[in-house]
Parts: sequence; structure tokens; C-alpha cells
Amino acid sequence: MNLNDSNIHKTYRVVEVSGLELPVERRLEALGLTEGTSVTILNKKNRGAVIVKVRGTRFAVGQNIAAGIRIEEVAQG
Amino acid sequence: MKDVVNIGFIGNPNCGKTTLFNAYTGARLKVANWPGVTVEKKEGSMQYHGHEFKLVDLPGIYSLTSYTMEEKVSREFILSDDADVIIDIADASALERNLYLTLQLIELGKPVVLALNMMDIVEERGMEIDMHRLPEMLGIPVVPVSARKKRGLDILMHAVAHHHHEEDNENVVLVHDHDDVEEQSQHRHDHHAEYAMVYSDLIEDKIDLVSDELRKRYPDMKNYRWHALKLLERDADIMEKYPVDMPDVLDRSYEKDIINQKYDFIEEIISEVVMNKSEKEERTDKVDAVLTHPFWGVPIFLGVMALVFALTFTIGDGIKGAIVEPAIEWCSNGILNVLTALHVNDVLTSLIIDGIVAGVGTILTFLPNIFILFLALAFLEDSGYMARVAYVMDGIMGRLGLSGRAFIPMLLGFGCTVPAVMASRTLEDPCDRRKTILITPFMSCSARLPIYVVFSQMFFGDKAMIAAYSMYILGIVVALVTAFVLKLMDKKESKNNLLIELPEYKAPNAYSIAIYVWEKVKDYVTRAGTVIFVASILMWVLLNCGPGGLADDMSQSFGAIVGSVLEPVFAPIGLGYWQIVVALLSGLAAKEVVVSSCGVLFGINNLNSDAGMDSMVAILAAMGFGAVNAYALMTFCLLYTPCTATLATIKRESGSWSWTIQAMIFQLAVAWVVTFIVYRIGMLFV
Repeated sequence: MNLNDSNIHKTYRVVEVSGLELPVERRLEALGLTEGTSVTILNKKNRGAVIVKVRGTRFAVGQNIAAGIRIEEVAQG
Repeated sequence: MKDVVNIGFIGNPNCGKTTLFNAYTGARLKVANWPGVTVEKKEGSMQYHGHEFKLVDLPGIYSLTSYTMEEKVSREFILSDDADVIIDIADASALERNLYLTLQLIELGKPVVLALNMMDIVEERGMEIDMHRLPEMLGIPVVPVSARKKRGLDILMHAVAHHHHEEDNENVVLVHDHDDVEEQSQHRHDHHAEYAMVYSDLIEDKIDLVSDELRKRYPDMKNYRWHALKLLERDADIMEKYPVDMPDVLDRSYEKDIINQKYDFIEEIISEVVMNKSEKEERTDKVDAVLTHPFWGVPIFLGVMALVFALTFTIGDGIKGAIVEPAIEWCSNGILNVLTALHVNDVLTSLIIDGIVAGVGTILTFLPNIFILFLALAFLEDSGYMARVAYVMDGIMGRLGLSGRAFIPMLLGFGCTVPAVMASRTLEDPCDRRKTILITPFMSCSARLPIYVVFSQMFFGDKAMIAAYSMYILGIVVALVTAFVLKLMDKKESKNNLLIELPEYKAPNAYSIAIYVWEKVKDYVTRAGTVIFVASILMWVLLNCGPGGLADDMSQSFGAIVGSVLEPVFAPIGLGYWQIVVALLSGLAAKEVVVSSCGVLFGINNLNSDAGMDSMVAILAAMGFGAVNAYALMTFCLLYTPCTATLATIKRESGSWSWTIQAMIFQLAVAWVVTFIVYRIGMLFV
């Protein structure tokens, strides 16, 4: 699944970032949104834009970028 | 040792860097651009125990790669001899993110002092940071500060001075063990003397090999380790400057490995240094649940903006009536009395009273409105709400082919178009940037406010506020429709890449807001004293001189002649009066000049007073200029070519005169067409 299919208040792990433009991927890397990073969904709009918490900071991520971030659910607890 | 110590301030966006910088330098700033690029450079200076410290505020960035202008500029400054000590400001409440930049800075090899800001938020959350272990693990001094409460400022500078002195001393050898690394590293050298972290053996071996090669090839190089790392990351800049031929070692980009290992090390630091990491839902999240609500987010935003403008008009007018108007009246009468007492001749008296006092004085009466507007905008920016607006509006903006981020420049456009156009820099895509620059001037800036205030009060009575407010709505609508049309014309699929940090909500800092508002108000008053002063004199000359010398009748003046020539162009949109045409032309200097010019044109001393307005309405009514014409005038003023300062900014940001001129013509055309429609529809109801 991708970040735009995520559910609010859940935590996921990033599996892969792909299919985005190079500068965008670079920026995500610099922000620490790399493979294995855990992301928590704080808020979400129907069209797929999300507010996530990554490494202690909140980010608003547009639907296009969200669609390029593959995630997997983390077993809770 | 140099007498002046150059200190670079660097940190992530929203870490409180500017607040800290202001706390040291106050508003005594020199703002310029870095040579060759449109990145703002701020400089200030201070004295510290006999040292002269020069402080340079570097752009807020997340990393030191060379992908953006901001990053390049910062990196080059730090590597250059101009930087003696670097103060890295980190938001202690988001230490994990902020330390990434810190690690990169330490690798650059200059003395770095880490200033841990926002410790109050950390404490509030019940967290603690081990202030002994953190500097030990990083190998640099760490000083807790509070930029907002001005705590720890002296200690920070003390650390800087101290660190600077010790620059050449041999450092103590500190060995940092990586407990959880499976194999013991072969690189257990005294790395804390030079750098904070050790990479995996694979990377470290390569660093050693590349460093040796660099040492041979470039004996003058200062920091071999850093350059080796950059070559491993395939940094375009460094590969070009210092090419090495080592295909076996540099077989691929190791950038991802390096980034991940840095974050691994940061996790290690966090787990050792941060105690009681709280997991409870924070205040910001609770507020965000409401303000960024999928459905209510947009209505709440519109409500906030409505409130901003309601305050601007009501409170602003209140202050104006109570303080500003009587003061200006008093000054005007005083000047007239002095001039009469000195028996100054009539022409000069007319120039001063009808030209300068009428023009400049009128503009100054709007100061309270401007003040309230900027106060509100500063509040929105400083509280952290502005970034949320980008997210809230992203859906709507996406449909128009723009990122929600483009809404921030547009919102700033309500204050002043010049910084708003400059704010479009934050958009990565050059196409998006130009689009945003093109539509931002449609957002009604504060200089247009006087026009609405005067004309809506003159013609719309108790509905004045609605008339003025409708201008703001119309501006937004025209901007959005323009964006939409551009999207339809644009064949290529637009990609909406919103990615923006949402900072912690905080009570706005009085000092930052005061500086922000002061800068804007000062700017407005300066404009009144310069551009508008000159424009008022010019207007007076143009209106009192004609082909036959000094003209008794204004309709024989140069101004009237120029205005009459253009009258036919403006007649279809209800503005075919030479005086109005002249006022609009003068508005190219600055939009508020339209109002000051009207004062001069119609011989009214203070247009922004009840008496002034009454006589103006009488004169206009005699010309056949009614409410619909007034509304057409407001519409045209909202949309037509922005002021010269904005045009100069557009030229600078777009780097192209031809594009700037095209944009200008486009805006003129839009203004004419929209005003035509508004005027024709209006005429149906009269």
C-alpha cells in the first residue's frame, strides 16, 4: 500500500520511495523519510493528502508525493 | 586572530533561528541578496567583551547538499574564510530532525556550537535532555537557549568566543564506541577531534582511499574527509571542482547509505540523550484536528481571513478618527499658518498645501489600517497557522494546477506584493513559480486598501465594508480563475508536490511581531516620504503647468492633455474622465498614489475625512461619476499592473524583462476586461 491509502492515527513503515521526480526524492531523503522510517498519520484528506509525523516533525504531504511512498503496517503494541 | 569574528547562524526552518538572530541584533539589520542569487542575506553586528561579532543569518535549510540555492549558498559561506564560527540552532522539541543538519555541519570542519532552542516546550512535555552526554557524543559545545524568552544568550556567545579561541588547540582524543554495531569498527580513531561520527567500514575504507588521493592531487584542500564524503555522494558541485579518477572506489552513489547511517547515529544519540519521550497527544495535534479538518478546514480559513479584514477596517478606522486625523489636520493648519505668516507666495503655498500635504498627508491617514493588517498577518505567520493553510488549500489549488504551497505567497500578497512575489521562491517547480508570480499581484495588497476605504465610504455608505471586502474576494477569484485557465492551456500534466513542515503551534512572540510590523510600517511611511512625496509634487506640476506656462485652470494643464488622450480607452469601463485617468497613471508609482492624486486633482486637502469625502462626492457627481463608476474604479485598481517596486521584483525573480512585460500587459488586459464586465453589469441595475 502507499501513503495515500493509509488510515488516520496509524503508524507505518516506509518500504520504498519511487516514481517521484529526483528533486522531490532528494528532499524526502534529506528529511529522513527513507526506507525503514516509521511514519504516523495525523490527519488525512479524502483525495490522499496527509499530515504525517516523521522523526519528530509534522509534515503536510500532497497526494502525488504520498502516492510515491510505499508503506507497510507496523504491528501495533 | 582577526579583530572581527564572523558567526554564521544556521538551522532548520522553524527552529527559531530568526528569533534568536533578532534577539542579538534587534532590528539593526542589513538585508541584501547573496551575490548572484535571489536568496536573502541578513547581517547584523554586536559587541561581546571587546570582540566585534558579525552575525550572518543563513537560510533555513534541512541539509547541506547542493540541490537548492539556499543549501549551496550556506555551504559555500561556511566553507569560505568568511565564516569563523557556526552557531547551529536546533529545535530541541524535534531534536531528531535537527541533528541531521548538525552532523553535516560538523563534517564541514568549522567550529560549531549547537544552540538548543525551545527547551521550554521540551520541559512542558515532561522530556529531559542529557546535557552532558549530548556534547560528548557530538564532540561540540551545546548550549540551551530560549530565543523567545531571551535566555542563555550570553552563555551562547561565551561558548562561541571560547570555541573560537581554542580553534587551533589540539583536541582531546575521544573514542566513541558503537555498541550495537555487529563487528567492531576498524576505524576507532580519534574522530571526535575532527568529526562526530564514524560510518560503516565499507564507507570509511572508501573515505580513506579517496582522502589519500585528494591529498596527492589537491594539497591545498582544507577538509579531505568532507570532500571525500561528497565525492562518494556524487555531489555535482564537488565532482566538478575536484575531479578524481577512481572508478573502483567511486563505483556508485553512496548517498543513501550515508544518509541512513547518519540517521542511525542520530537514533543512537536520541535513545541515549532524550529521557521520558512522551507519547501523549500533544496540544498541537488537538488544535490541528480542528484547523486542518478535511471538511471544516476551508470554512475556518475563510472565517479567519474575514476576521482579519473586519479588524483592519473597524479598529483601523477607530484609531484613525481618534488620533491620526486630528494630528494631520493640526499639522496641515500649522503649516498653512506658518506659510501665511512668512508671506510665502501663492504658487509655493499651493505646491506645499495642495501638492505635498494633500498627497502625503492623505496616505498617512491610512497608517492605522495598514498597521492592523500587518499585525494580523504577522500573528498568522508566527503562530504557525500559515503552513496549515497550504495543506488546507491544497485540494482546491491542486485542481487549479498549483501546489497548496503557492497559497502562502498569495496570502502574503494581502500585505505587500513585493515580499509575496519573493516568497514564490519557495516553490521548487519553475513553472509553478512563474504562475504564482503572475497571479499574486491580483491579491489585494495593503496599498490598495486606501482606494477601497475612500471610494467605498464615499459611495456605499453603511455597506462600505461589504464593498471593500468584495474586492478581496474578487481578487482571489480572478487569481484562481487565471490559474485554472493557465492549467487548461498547459498541455503537460501538472504535478502537485506539496511537502511542507507544519511547525508546533506557539503563542506568537511579541518581539518578533513588533519587529515585523515595525519594518512594514516604516516601509509604508518611507514610501509616503519618498515615492509619494515626489509623485505628489510631480502631479502638482503636471496639473498646474500647461503648454502656456502656469495654468490657472487645471483643464489646460499637461496632466489634462495626457488624460484626455487616453479617455476613450477608459470610457467603455466607466472611467472615461481625464482626472481619473491621470490618477490611475500616477498609481503605477504606487497604488495608494491613486488616492493622493485624487486629493491633488480635486483640490481636497484630506480626502480621508468626512468633509473631504463630501466635497469629493459633490465634484464627482457633477461629472456624472456615480457608485457604479466608483466600483469600476476599485475593480480596475485591484487588478491593473502592479506598482513599479513589484514590477522590479518580478523582473528580478523571473530574470526576464520580456516575461515581465508580458505579465504586465496581461494584467492590464485582465483589469480592463473584468472592469468592463463589472461596469456593464452594474449599469443594468442603475
